[in-house]
Amino acid sequence: MDSGLYIAASGMLTEMVRQEQIANELANANTPGYKADRSTQAGFGELFLRNTRTNVPVGSLSMGVEIADTATELTPEAIHETGEALDFAIEGEGFFGVLTEGGVRYTRNGQFTANAEGLLTDAQGDPVIAANGGPVRLRADGTVSASDLGAFEITGAEKIGDSLFTGTAAGNASGQVRAGALEESAVDPARTMVQMISSFRALEADQKAIQTIDETLSESAGSIGEVH
Amino acid sequence: MVSGLATAAAGMEAQQQLLNALSEDIANSSTTGYKSTRVGFTDLLYQAPGRGGAAGTQVGAGSRAEIIGRDFEQGALEMTGRPLDVALVTPGFIEVRGAGGAVALTRAGQLNVAADGTLETATGQRLEPPIRIPAGTDAEDIAIAADGTVSVEGRRLGQINLVEVSNPDGLQGDGEGDFLPTAASGPVTAARGARLQQGALEASNVEMATVMTQMSEAQQGYALAGKAVTTQDEVLAVANGLIR
Repeated sequence: MDSGLYIAASGMLTEMVRQEQIANELANANTPGYKADRSTQAGFGELFLRNTRTNVPVGSLSMGVEIADTATELTPEAIHETGEALDFAIEGEGFFGVLTEGGVRYTRNGQFTANAEGLLTDAQGDPVIAANGGPVRLRADGTVSASDLGAFEITGAEKIGDSLFTGTAAGNASGQVRAGALEESAVDPARTMVQMISSFRALEADQKAIQTIDETLSESAGSIGEVH
Repeated sequence: MVSGLATAAAGMEAQQQLLNALSEDIANSSTTGYKSTRVGFTDLLYQAPGRGGAAGTQVGAGSRAEIIGRDFEQGALEMTGRPLDVALVTPGFIEVRGAGGAVALTRAGQLNVAADGTLETATGQRLEPPIRIPAGTDAEDIAIAADGTVSVEGRRLGQINLVEVSNPDGLQGDGEGDFLPTAASGPVTAARGARLQQGALEASNVEMATVMTQMSEAQQGYALAGKAVTTQDEVLAVANGLIR
């Protein structure tokens, strides 16, 4: 059969994944400390098919496409003042550390709150880790000194949701913690909308290709075999 | 496969939560002792998209917003000159007991003498412990000291209980400007050093300019997520359009 059908189909699937990623970006346009995902698409070449359940390669298909990898762009974004005592932002590189049930996780989203013990926590109630490795205790007036919070350098940062990242700690970061401020979401609405439109048109083009190949195949199956 | 429609819808819902909280703030911009809400945003779970993306590709499921506490910054003092108006000039709360018998905390110190002679707040909650004003007392003769001691012409009638919790962010609003203690707020304890000012009320700490800025941000976020919903719908229509 015509492998063009599969190539165009892989293109459609790729664009659909991209659309989902774009929907996620747009949904997080106001999430403080949100970092944008950049997807690289595997261009012309051989696409290895995998068993979706076991991930075992089952063969190759030439000239297909897929999203090869998602990389999170960790460039620090602009910081805006909120005046809220428990809002924090890191100016420059680094992450806040929080102690979750699953271990230490990292975040750039400094919209913190407190728990009944008077410890600083993230929105999910996980205690924030201080520069000295312990918990961060609120002062009697309900505020926290920015210098109490740790800013940690991590490698291999990967998003896991709830504004958290996993990664390997690599000492203290160069960034400065600021109180009463939040880091803006890295989502650029204009750029993301343009990506959404161009991805949508690519999806439509793939659909047209499939329809055209389908017509060619029905010609072969229908008209060519006909005896006049 | 992660549903892009649900992702985009989650984004709209999160912005809606922010708009709801901001509406509450605006509605309470002149409520005595009201504290503005803090809305926290986070992203949601990330997972592999299945077909169309190689291992290592991640697709997020949108965003979520929830009220993570309140901004307990001191509101401006409004001098009223009314003897039964008190304003807290420090962190802390006035302890009251609601109609249902539960302890509540408030910063709205607009006190009145109830039919039975005890002091109650504007929302009809008795002070805890109750303070009884003798019948026929001229309101002008009532003196309320900074520590909450209520006296009439030098005779001590009782003391307004000034309390605090370890985590005010954990308090639950009751919709009338009063706060209810919860497990997250910690137990109610006496507030050392809390001070009252007689003849004044604490204004709402809602800053209109800030709320309006947040409102326009929320509306833009809502529109962006809405656009993503429309596009997701069109994406699915294109997929459905394969078979004519």
